[in-house]
Amino acid sequence: LKALNRYIAPLLILISLLPCCNSQRRSAYQFPEHFAPEIKSHYIERAEKGRALYKAYCSDCHGIFTKGKDGVPNFTTTQIDNYQAAALLGIDPRNHAVARKLNQLQVDHIMIFLRFRSKDDK
Amino acid sequence: MRILGCLLVLIISVATLSFKLAGRAAYVDAYYQNISEIRQKQSELLELLQQTDFQNTTQRTHFISSLHQLRLKLKAQDFWFRYLEPNAYRKLNGPLPVEWETEVFEKYEPPYRREGAGLSLIEMALEDPHVSKEYISENIYSSFGSLDVFAADSVVQRMRDPSAFYFANRLFLLNLAAIYTTGFECPDSARIVPELRQMMLDVEKLYRQYEQSPGAYLLNPAYWAQYRSALTFLSGQSDAYALFDHFTWIRDHVNPLFRINQQMIREHGVFSRSWMDYTLNDSCGSIFDKRLFSGQQYKGLYGMVEDVATLNEIRSIGKLLFYDPILSVNNQRSCSSCHRPDMYFTDSTVRTALQLDGINRLPRNTNSLVNVVFNHLLMSDGLHTELLQQGKGVIGNPMEMGGRESEVLTKILSCPDYRKAFQKWMRYTPEEKNVTMDHIVSALSIYYSSFSYASAPFDDAMHHRSSIPESAVKGFNLFMGKAQCATCHFVPLFNGIKPPYLSSEFEVVGVPEDTFYLRLSADEGRYKVHPVAEMMHAFRTGTVRNSSYTAPYMHNGVFSSLHQVMDFYNKGGAQGRGLSLPNQTLSSDPLALTSEEIEHLLAFLKTLDESIPKESPPDALPRSGDPSLNSRKIGGAY
Repeated sequence: LKALNRYIAPLLILISLLPCCNSQRRSAYQFPEHFAPEIKSHYIERAEKGRALYKAYCSDCHGIFTKGKDGVPNFTTTQIDNYQAAALLGIDPRNHAVARKLNQLQVDHIMIFLRFRSKDDK
Repeated sequence: MRILGCLLVLIISVATLSFKLAGRAAYVDAYYQNISEIRQKQSELLELLQQTDFQNTTQRTHFISSLHQLRLKLKAQDFWFRYLEPNAYRKLNGPLPVEWETEVFEKYEPPYRREGAGLSLIEMALEDPHVSKEYISENIYSSFGSLDVFAADSVVQRMRDPSAFYFANRLFLLNLAAIYTTGFECPDSARIVPELRQMMLDVEKLYRQYEQSPGAYLLNPAYWAQYRSALTFLSGQSDAYALFDHFTWIRDHVNPLFRINQQMIREHGVFSRSWMDYTLNDSCGSIFDKRLFSGQQYKGLYGMVEDVATLNEIRSIGKLLFYDPILSVNNQRSCSSCHRPDMYFTDSTVRTALQLDGINRLPRNTNSLVNVVFNHLLMSDGLHTELLQQGKGVIGNPMEMGGRESEVLTKILSCPDYRKAFQKWMRYTPEEKNVTMDHIVSALSIYYSSFSYASAPFDDAMHHRSSIPESAVKGFNLFMGKAQCATCHFVPLFNGIKPPYLSSEFEVVGVPEDTFYLRLSADEGRYKVHPVAEMMHAFRTGTVRNSSYTAPYMHNGVFSSLHQVMDFYNKGGAQGRGLSLPNQTLSSDPLALTSEEIEHLLAFLKTLDESIPKESPPDALPRSGDPSLNSRKIGGAY
C-alpha cells in the first residue's frame, strides 16, 4: 500500500492531469464549428505568427500591466474590430505608429491571433 | 447680505466665463446656415423644374443659371463637405453615375459600388434638350438625402475639433492643385475660373469665422499674405478658361500655401484621426515632393528595419536577386529580363515581353517599376493590393517565371551568400521560423522601390530651383485644361490617384488592337478581377512620368510613339473612332488640339522625365552548393 501511495498515486495524478494539458493546448484557439480541419490548421499557423508579432510589437503597451505572463488582454470583439481599423488606418497616429510599419499580411496575422485566441489562453 | 452679494457676483462671473469658454463656434454656425441655404435653393430648383420647358432656350438657360447659383453655394462648403464625408459628396456633385472603389483600408474587401448624383450629372444631361424631368428630379432628391448626412451630429462633431480645420484645409489646397482647375466636376469650362474665384472668397470668409471661434489655432501672417496674393492673382486672370495660367497658379500660390499649412500643422501640434489623412505625410513641405503620400509599404516583412546600414545590405542582396535567373523554373529568366534597370525598369525594345517558353508573347506590356510604390492597387488590372503579392505572383506565374515557391526557395538558399544574409536578418521577423518567399520578395521590393524617389525638371521648376522651356509651361497648361489629361492623371504623380491619395482609379479609354483601329483590344482588363459592367476593358491609370523612356504605350503596347498616344486621345478614344464601347469613360468628343499644341504637350511630358540613378548589373551572382546552378547568366538568358 505504501508503494502504491509512493509511486502509483502520483502517477495517477499525472495521468489525470494529462488530458488537462492536452485540452489546454487544444483550446489555445477557438474556431467556429464549420471550419474545416485544413482551414483551422492554416489559421493556427497564422495566429502563431500573430502571437510572435504581438509579443514583439504590441505587448509593451497592451499587456505589461496585466497579471498574465504574456499579458495579452482579452479584447472584446468590438475592440478587435476597432483595432483592425486602427491598424489599417493608423487612426491614432500617436500611439499606433508601429502598426503602420507592419505590412498588410503581418497586421492580418495579429488580428487572426486576437480574434481566435480562446479567452483563457495566456 | 454682503457675503450673499459676493456669492452672487461670483456665480454670475463663473457662469459668464463658462459660457464664454463653451462659446459658439462661428464657423460651425456658418456651416449649418449654409446647409439650410443649399436646401432652400434645391427646393427652388425643384419648383423651377416643374415650370421649365427645356425645348425653350430662354427657360433652359434660366434653369442652368439657377443650377450654377446652387453649385456656387455648394462650393462655399466644399472645404468641409469633401473632407468630412466624400462619399456623401458624390451625391451632391459627383462626376460619374457609378464608380467602383477599393480604398487603401478596404483592401480586404471587394470593391465598393459608389453611386454619384447631383449637379454635374444634371448639367451634362441637360445637353440633350429631350432630357427627362424625372432624371433631373431624381438627381436633386438624392442630393437632398446627402445634405442630411452633412448636418448629422456625428459629422459636425468632427469639425468642431479645431484641429480638423488644418487637415480640411490641406485637402482643399491639394484639390486646388489637382481638381478644381481641371473641370473634373464642372462640365461647363466657362464656369471653372469664376467658380474658383468665388470659392476662394468664400473660403477666406470661412477662415475668418474659424479664427473668431473659441479654441481656434490662428493662421499665421505668412499664410494670410500668401492667400491674399492668390486672390489677387485670380482676380487678374481672365474668365476664359483657355487662358488660365495653371503653372503660375500652382507654383506661386497653391504650393506655397500648402507648405505654410504643413508648417502650421507641425507648429500647432495638431493631429488627425481621420482616415482621410491616412497616407499623407505631415512633414512634407511641397506637393511635388515624393514623400507627400505613401502608396505601398515597400519594405515587406522588414517593415521594422530602420537602420540604414542594414537596409543597404538588404537592398544589395535584393539587387543580386533581381538579376538572378535562379528565381525562374528554368534558371534562365530574372526580374531584369523584362524590367530592365537600364531602361527605367521596363523593356522599351518590345511591345510585350516574351513568355517563359521563349516563343510566345505576353498579353500585356511590361509596366515600369519606377514610381510603382505610389499606387494602392498594382498591375494594369489592379489584381494585387500589395508589392509582396505582386512579386510572388510574377515568380509563380507559369507564363512568366513559372517557379514553384518551395523549389525556388530551396534553390536560393542553396547559395551560402543568400542563406547567410537572410538568416542574419531573421531577428527582424520574429513571426517567421524559417526563411520564406516573403523574405525574398521583401528584399526585391526594397531594391527596386529605391528608384522611385527621384525628381524631374518639372518638380524642380515647381520649387523655383530651375526653369523649364516656355513650350513646356504651355504644355502643362494644356495638360491641365484643354487637353483634359489632368482629369485622370492627377497632380503630382500624374497617375490615377487623386487627393487625398487613398485609391487607384481605373478608366475605360478604348485602346485598339492595332493602329488601324479595326477593333478594340480584346483584353477585358479590370473586368477579369472584378466582373461588373462598368469595369469591362477598364485599366488602371498609369503615371505619365518618364514617358520618354517607357515606350511602347498602353496595356498592350500598341502605340510605339507618344504622337500616336496624343492622336488617340485627340480623336476621342475608341468611340471617337467609331468603335462601339458603351462604357467608355473618356469623352468621345475630339479635343481639337493643333499640332503645335501637341508639341507643347510633348515638351511638358519631357520635363517629367526623372533622373533616376544609373544602374549596372552586378559583377557576379552568388555561387550555389548545387554545381548545376552555377552556370546561370547574370540577368538571365532571354
